[in-house]
Amino acid sequence: MANEKEKKLKFCINDHRDVLVEILKRLDGRSLGVAASVCRLWCSITRQDSVWESLCFRHVSPPPSDVRPVVVALGGYRRLYMVCLRPVILSRLSRQLSLRLGNGGAGDSERIKRICTRDEVQLSLSLFSIDYYERLGGGTGRLGESSASSLMFLCKPVNV
Amino acid sequence: MGPYKSGISAGSSSSSSSSCAGKQSEIDGLLSGAGYKVRSSDLRQVAHRLERLETVMVNAPAEISQLASEAVHYNPSDLASWVDSMLSELNQPVPMSSDLSDLPYIDGFVAPALHQTVLSEGWTEQNTHEQQQLTVVTAVEEDSAIRLVHLLMTCAESVQRGELGLAGSLIEEMRGLLTSVNTECGIGKVAGYFIDALSRRLFSPLAVCAGSSLESDILYHHFYEACPYLKFAHFTANQAILEAFDGHDCVHVVDFSLMHGLQWPALIQALALRPGGPPLLRLTGIGPPSPDGRDSLREIGLRLAELARSVNVRFAFRGVAASRLDDVKPWMLQVGPREAVAVNSIMQLHRLLGSDSSRVSPIDSVLGWIRSLNPKIVTVVEQEANHNQPEFLDRFTEALYYYSTMFDSLEACSLQLEKSVAEMYMQREICNVVCCEGSARVERHEPLAKWRARLNGAGFRPLHLGSNAFKQASILLTLFSAAGYCVEENEGCLTLGWHSRPLIAASAWQAVSDTSAPFGRIKDNLL
Repeated sequence: MANEKEKKLKFCINDHRDVLVEILKRLDGRSLGVAASVCRLWCSITRQDSVWESLCFRHVSPPPSDVRPVVVALGGYRRLYMVCLRPVILSRLSRQLSLRLGNGGAGDSERIKRICTRDEVQLSLSLFSIDYYERLGGGTGRLGESSASSLMFLCKPVNV
Repeated sequence: MGPYKSGISAGSSSSSSSSCAGKQSEIDGLLSGAGYKVRSSDLRQVAHRLERLETVMVNAPAEISQLASEAVHYNPSDLASWVDSMLSELNQPVPMSSDLSDLPYIDGFVAPALHQTVLSEGWTEQNTHEQQQLTVVTAVEEDSAIRLVHLLMTCAESVQRGELGLAGSLIEEMRGLLTSVNTECGIGKVAGYFIDALSRRLFSPLAVCAGSSLESDILYHHFYEACPYLKFAHFTANQAILEAFDGHDCVHVVDFSLMHGLQWPALIQALALRPGGPPLLRLTGIGPPSPDGRDSLREIGLRLAELARSVNVRFAFRGVAASRLDDVKPWMLQVGPREAVAVNSIMQLHRLLGSDSSRVSPIDSVLGWIRSLNPKIVTVVEQEANHNQPEFLDRFTEALYYYSTMFDSLEACSLQLEKSVAEMYMQREICNVVCCEGSARVERHEPLAKWRARLNGAGFRPLHLGSNAFKQASILLTLFSAAGYCVEENEGCLTLGWHSRPLIAASAWQAVSDTSAPFGRIKDNLL
């Protein structure tokens, strides 16, 4: 008897993929990376571009609707986030943090938000197009490099 | 603002920096940026007193620790009186006159070098013995650096006067001095390049400074990656072009130097996303002919076309191979009658400033045919430096300041390979400014004020770069690890600089409407 009741109450998120997707869509980049190592299902979901799309444009309003075909054509939202958007945000954060520490660490209670502004998104899209162009071989003529050389300056370690 | 690593940074030289007017009674800009107030006219005296203070501190270790813990200094930012008070504390007579008169150039230069020395003595109450050691080392090195700069100036002056024997011996002396200076960074490195350039000018003037176009490509690409100057140029120009193309369905961009075409993916993407949909984009890329028969312009065009296809932008590319910009004729560009034209020149116009008295000056003829195209916008990005003065010594001095600042800004680059190759890129420019003359000297940089006058005189009026361009440039700069870059707005133009010395200036122009212009274009199209 108790077993049956237990079975009815037991809720396994992995049985409800659509709900899981909705939840994972709301995570930040780092958490998504962690989520990818939970299990195979979660890993496959985190590879869906729609999850990263929510991450990229979460706080940009109004959300640009016609951007999707361009982003998909240039390599997808996950790549946009990993290669361009994340470094842009992290650079800004590290700059803000160092300024804050320089001013005596005022107000740690006010969290620096990891959201991106519209201008940051636009710059990231520009950098993303350069990334695509270089992967085509347009920069130095070498085809198919996974990390385009022009964006190497974004890969410096940022301690945030 | 941090201490300058190189001993030389311009700020109070005669460049177009708007912050320095009358030098005599003004507070020195460089030191005030670091928190010290010294009148520019007092710099020599303060320098001398600081040297004496150093000597005293080195020789009197016992009293230093007492000073560090018990001294009370009023007005720390007033450097001159602080030094006086320190000297009098240590019972040294304060000299009334300066005997640094034999170093006239030192005016604007000495400040940052001493700043570094002062910082090492600083306000900390820590291990003063260690500080003394540091002070001695820094002082010796700064001495050599100052001497190096002095020798460089003297050598340049003797080159100008034609005293080649003296110049040669000075070069030997400088090479010797280089051994006692750190040549890995700062003034040592820059001085090394200038010494090489001077000796090349003296001993092998016909040796070609520029390498093959493949080399140029590689140098350019690494310079693009290592520092933000080219990216700033591209992004700012793109923003201006995007705004100028608003509302037009047929647009044509003429790029004076296609290189790898790195500027255009971002514009294509921005046009793809603009509200109302993308226009038909035509790109005409001008570049040098490829030596090995490859049509490199066409290859770049193909890649850009592939990108444009991916994002659904109708795109057409045309390459124009020309070794000199004034060889290009407007009919080669095939500008259509109803197209909105943008002309984009990233560091190309200064190459046209060499005057060949037998024909029309190249810059005037090129500006003339640009105007005849009736462009919606002409984006001009140029180095913010005065390297085209008639006197060699003036050019040399300017170049020394300018490239020292450039090398400083490159110090913070974390990509080692890109940094080294970017330095070679700049070394080539240095070589051209210092060694070459006449038509071989193509790096004839002129400051923004001169370009303004020139373009206004050629029938263009300025377009103000908007706040979007400024914001974009600011965000771009946060991506670079060095915190010394600064974007400034200068009467509608944007400049990117290092520690308040502008190094590259971007501006936008439009042809003043003229009744003869439309006829000119129709005539061209009939040909």
